[in-house]
Amino acid sequence: MGFFDILTGKRKIKGPAPDRLFAMSTAAVTLDMTLQLRSSGKAAIVFQPLATADFESIVTDMEEVLRGTGEDTGTTVQRTDDSFGYRWMVLEDPDFEDLVVGINVVSQALQDGGYGDRILCAVFSFRDAQDRRVYWIYNYKRGAYYPFVPAGGEQRRDTEAELRLKAQIGTELPVEAELERWFPLWGIPI
Amino acid sequence: MTFTLFLLGALYVALVVAMLAAGVNGVMVALIAGGLALFNLFGSDKLALRAMGAREVSPAEAPELHALIERLCIQADLPKPKVAVADTRMPNAFALGRSPKSATVCATTGIMELLSPAELEGVMAHELTHVANRDVMVMTLAGFFATIAAYIVQFGFFFGGGHSDDEDNPSFLVLFLVSLGVYIVSFFLMQALSRYREFAADRGAALITGRPSALASALMRISSGMHRIPQRDLRAASELQAFYIFPPGAGKAVGELFATHPSMEKRIAALQRLETQLQARV
Repeated sequence: MGFFDILTGKRKIKGPAPDRLFAMSTAAVTLDMTLQLRSSGKAAIVFQPLATADFESIVTDMEEVLRGTGEDTGTTVQRTDDSFGYRWMVLEDPDFEDLVVGINVVSQALQDGGYGDRILCAVFSFRDAQDRRVYWIYNYKRGAYYPFVPAGGEQRRDTEAELRLKAQIGTELPVEAELERWFPLWGIPI
Repeated sequence: MTFTLFLLGALYVALVVAMLAAGVNGVMVALIAGGLALFNLFGSDKLALRAMGAREVSPAEAPELHALIERLCIQADLPKPKVAVADTRMPNAFALGRSPKSATVCATTGIMELLSPAELEGVMAHELTHVANRDVMVMTLAGFFATIAAYIVQFGFFFGGGHSDDEDNPSFLVLFLVSLGVYIVSFFLMQALSRYREFAADRGAALITGRPSALASALMRISSGMHRIPQRDLRAASELQAFYIFPPGAGKAVGELFATHPSMEKRIAALQRLETQLQARV
């Protein structure tokens, strides 16, 4: 943010960073092989639905496309709105590669429609050897992933496990460098 | 906005010239005012929070508020500020801190009860935009010379009248009058600047949430909620007016010129224009 922007207070909302979503396709193999993190077969993309006519039609069209391709790939789509008013498009497919592609279809459709800045994040859901939930969250604005491991109990996260994951994955994933941007997402439905 | 800034600048140049012409020990005055401005920038957060009876809350204490702010931070690409809650029925919210890294946003328990989640989201996005725009810093710096002028005026009141003998320095009187002028005019310009920053924050909030109408409805609800508040709370709050989402007692403002915030009608009209733009977007 430049000096002039500070003076005028006219700050633009940031659009998506260069897309590094697909880094997850290859990283998932490493996660599976060396860290025993297996995909739960689900992934989701979260965005703010706008109450405008063209936004609704973009979302409807995009869902149509997903359902259409889903007949070939076996990906199923579900949508839920959470209590914060954000929409979750939950994709389910045993083939991880198809999940990443499906998420990209959604984000691409929103960006092409000019609504890329409405996307909050994408969430990939994993289970570790003890069947605990482990999430990798992709922040579109920063173009980076970060791990999120909810611990048992309300609003608790296992920071140790998260930091360990960051070290273990190394350079295979673009991991968010600023730890204060590792925003938790409570109540992830996948 | 640019014009207001220009006027403020011109005014301050005039003050400096007058001070130099009067041969005042300007360095001393600048040091004092500078020190106060620095204190304002670096030390006032905790003081203001305490004055409001607010305290920082952990995610476990206010999970909903934290989660809401976290999502807004992702959207606005901001680091997460500290979150505080003030236990008062007055529905209000404010932001403190000179930079996004050291910022605190505060909501009252009243506003959290009054507003729907979408409306509260709009209000918190407004406060986060104040943080992103560094409004505390801008207003403190813009007020720097106004503070100097105010001190000279006070100094004049306290000590100037004492020795009005034949030896009295006429240039001090000139300086006193110029300072008084600067103080008065900069007061109005500062209010205009503050109103401008409010519009900017409303606009920024609408961009972050994509829901201008939710903020408009929150403003309406807060303003009608405002009038049911006991008078004592309103007066206790007057110090912090500029950083509120909605200034207490604004309904009674004598004229637009005196207000730190634009009128409710104008803010809602501006938000409605944004909503229209959003709907007509191609």
